[in-house]
Amino acid sequence: MRGGRVSAGDVCAAVASEVEVTGAWLSAARGTEAGHLMWVTDAVSERLAELHLTLGEGPSLEAFAAGGPALASDLADGESGARWPAFAPAALGAGAVAVFAFPLAVGAIRAGVLGLYRDRPGPLSGFQLGDSLVFADTATLLLLDAGNLEDGNEEPGNQEAGDMQPRAGPGGQPAGLALHRAEIDQATGMLTEQLGVSITDAFVRLRAYAYVNDLRLADVARNIVARRLRLPLDPGLSLDTEA
Amino acid sequence: MDGELLSATFVELTDTLVADFDVIDFLHVLTDRSAVLLDVSAAGLLLADPRGELRVVAASSEAARLLELFQLQGDQGPCLDCYRSGRPVTSPDLAADTRWPRFAAAAAEAGFASVQALPMRLRDQVVGALNLFRAAPGGFDPGNVRVGQALADVATIGLLHERGMRRSDTLNEQLQAALNSRVVIEQAKGKLAERLGIDTDEAFTVLRDVARSRNQRLSDVARAFIDGTQTITIPATAKPRQEASGQVPPRPGPGSSHRP
Repeated sequence: MRGGRVSAGDVCAAVASEVEVTGAWLSAARGTEAGHLMWVTDAVSERLAELHLTLGEGPSLEAFAAGGPALASDLADGESGARWPAFAPAALGAGAVAVFAFPLAVGAIRAGVLGLYRDRPGPLSGFQLGDSLVFADTATLLLLDAGNLEDGNEEPGNQEAGDMQPRAGPGGQPAGLALHRAEIDQATGMLTEQLGVSITDAFVRLRAYAYVNDLRLADVARNIVARRLRLPLDPGLSLDTEA
Repeated sequence: MDGELLSATFVELTDTLVADFDVIDFLHVLTDRSAVLLDVSAAGLLLADPRGELRVVAASSEAARLLELFQLQGDQGPCLDCYRSGRPVTSPDLAADTRWPRFAAAAAEAGFASVQALPMRLRDQVVGALNLFRAAPGGFDPGNVRVGQALADVATIGLLHERGMRRSDTLNEQLQAALNSRVVIEQAKGKLAERLGIDTDEAFTVLRDVARSRNQRLSDVARAFIDGTQTITIPATAKPRQEASGQVPPRPGPGSSHRP
């Protein structure tokens, strides 16, 4: 962590030590593809990420496509071999025995994939699974806020917005996705239609509006769903006030 | 109680090994049928997220207030107590109950006077809770509660035993994918509500009708609509306002997939 600014790369490093895995990698989505490698913690992780691109199969790609994790506690078991006939033996050859891939997703929004590996077999414990999911949520928001996605995003690199995540909301709520509210998801869906932007951009706009105006995300979302609030069409109108 | 519908429901809830099995659709069968069979006003299903909260996955009605009531129980309420203890939790008269003040107030506002939470449990593993509401105060009929628990048990076995026993990884994959699918459905509700100028609960009914008429999973329809690969218009036959209150949808006979 540099100067309090947290990047998705920091998350990648932190998850590897906290969740007791050997290494981790993080890929950012490019449009509908998962494969833009952004961070790795070691050479094996880099190799695992590469294998996905080379072979066109593996837990990362599956997690990205399914919108749920792909968990392989033992790549040497028959099921993993049947699931990924090319990836499983190649990953074993590279030194990975267990691989766990988590989509960086909020519903239909896909920001990338977080991959973890172990050099020994064994499932993630319940706590480790929970921690991995929380890390994945954090990485998702950081990627979205940093504008690292090439999802038709017309306004790249609002780096300052990266500061918004670690801060708790004005109401003292955690700012992360651990706080799941249907209104937030519904408001995101409404904004994609109102503003004529992608679902990813709609979510970024929603969070930016709450941040800039120092409002709770859930309150902004509720007002949008109740049709008491419409966000300005031009994103500059809200983001400019940040300075 | 409709015995024929009850046995059909048991068959559907055990039929989880079909190739196109979908957790969301499966749990909607459980909540829809619970509402009808158990003589309750509403039923909802919460699953435990390993992040440490309970999240709504299916409900017999998508009325926003009802969803909020389920959602609230991530913080306090009978479902949270039920999930933590692994035992049924009931309150025949919420107005006189002091255990969950915020929940009781929200329930009263939504028009409910009594509540029952039943664990989704197999041996020592609790994956969530089935939540039943009634508009009138008074105890739940013991026979209905037994049937409700049996439905929850069968559904839990369907989820855990048949599919997850071989690999705990598989269950976690499916539950997480289901939780994310629920988010996709909420996003699609918002987009469709905005496009058609209707409420989000009406939007859900439209999405569900479209999924049925196309013989697709609800979550797939929702995702395709968000991604823009499928368009949705109100089907001429749809009457969202009437259907949203929770009628039994037409279902296929025993032995077939749990989606029409």
